[in-house]
Amino acid sequence: MTNRPLENMSATTKVLDARGLFCPEPVFRTKIEVERMQVGETLTVLADDPNAEEDVSRWVKRNGHELLSLEKKDSALEFQIKKVK
Amino acid sequence: MAKVVLDAGALDRVGNTPLIKLDSLSNDKVQYFAKLESHNPFGSVKDRAAYWMIKDAEEKGKLKKNHTIIIEPTSGNTGIALTGIASLLGYEVEIVIPEKASEETKKIIAKLGAKLYETSDDLCPKVGAGTDQSIALATSIASSRPDKYYSPNQYANEANFLGHYKGTGPEIWKQTEGKVTHFFTGVGTGGTVTGISTFLKEQNPKLKTIGVQPQQNHLIQGLRNFEESAKPDLFIRREKSVDDWITINNETAFAAVKELFQKESLMVSPSSATVYAAMKKYPIQEGIVVGIFADDGRKFKSLYAQQKVFTEEEFDANLKQAKHLSKIVYLD
Ligand SMILES: Cc1ncc(COP(=O)(O)O)c(C=O)c1O
Repeated sequence: MTNRPLENMSATTKVLDARGLFCPEPVFRTKIEVERMQVGETLTVLADDPNAEEDVSRWVKRNGHELLSLEKKDSALEFQIKKVK
Repeated sequence: MAKVVLDAGALDRVGNTPLIKLDSLSNDKVQYFAKLESHNPFGSVKDRAAYWMIKDAEEKGKLKKNHTIIIEPTSGNTGIALTGIASLLGYEVEIVIPEKASEETKKIIAKLGAKLYETSDDLCPKVGAGTDQSIALATSIASSRPDKYYSPNQYANEANFLGHYKGTGPEIWKQTEGKVTHFFTGVGTGGTVTGISTFLKEQNPKLKTIGVQPQQNHLIQGLRNFEESAKPDLFIRREKSVDDWITINNETAFAAVKELFQKESLMVSPSSATVYAAMKKYPIQEGIVVGIFADDGRKFKSLYAQQKVFTEEEFDANLKQAKHLSKIVYLD
């Protein structure tokens, strides 16, 4: 990913803002977005229900995708997810 | 898929379903009858619950036309009934359904215009499997947008009971001229059994209500076995309205589907056949017996082929000969 030009990067990174939603809705919406993406694309998910940390991370791993990063910013969680298959 | 255009007159056809005599069970001392709930506009007993729950929410000011979205987790008839009835009354509907629910049911719901969310068991394993996933998702969607969503929650909604207490119960009393002595039904939320039984016992305290449950691990859509599934709140409130229970296994139920076609020319659902099998098995010396046939067999072509009840060819041929088939809105 790192050697790609920036404009190309933004074209393939979608953002799902799931702040204000309660579990399991963030993981449900993540699943729908990932199903619509092409292999290799990444998705940023923002969520602020603390349960999302476990739900989203576990779903990503169980379904064979890659959790590139998980950061906590101002009480919100930010996931970077790469579709692997 | 084209959305079906609904006729508002359908709302006036909720309830007042026919009661027909079952000659194959009746004798000199005992007369058996079936209440054919397939004659509701969207084809099942659940039209009553859907209609009463939406009307009740309207009266309580919980709904705004062309604004509120009605959301409900369900795997069958309630999804069909709510979608049909709420659309006619001017509300959007979203149904949360387990992805394993029957394709026939999902297609009907989509055709009636609801948005479908399909849940899978890997979403949130801690809440359980199947409909439990759907309940969790529906609850989360509704609770983060309380101004937009309303969830009737048939498992706890008193209007589901009232639809039967004020509708189905009095209908049966009138249709049997007050002579009914025994009442049989399957149980899902418990709205049907508690509503009808409570009304009938107020008229005749000697009336006996027999709850019919399928075996554990059953194939009977719409019914619950209380050894494997939790009792819904709505049922627990009036649990004592049931005097006795009888359990019917899958094999007996599917044999009864066949028997009802051969002896009565009826094409019934697995749950109606379960009730028939219970009426046949339960010893009754004398009286007038009524059983609820909650829907008919038209959604079960693939299940009956799979269970070797009827091949697809037999199913189609039987439908042409079947008696008492109702006009169902989405089949036009
Ligand atoms: C298919 C089906 N759905 C629902 C019901 C009754 O459901 P509830 O207990 O939710 O009123 C029955 C009961 O006979 C049924 O056969």
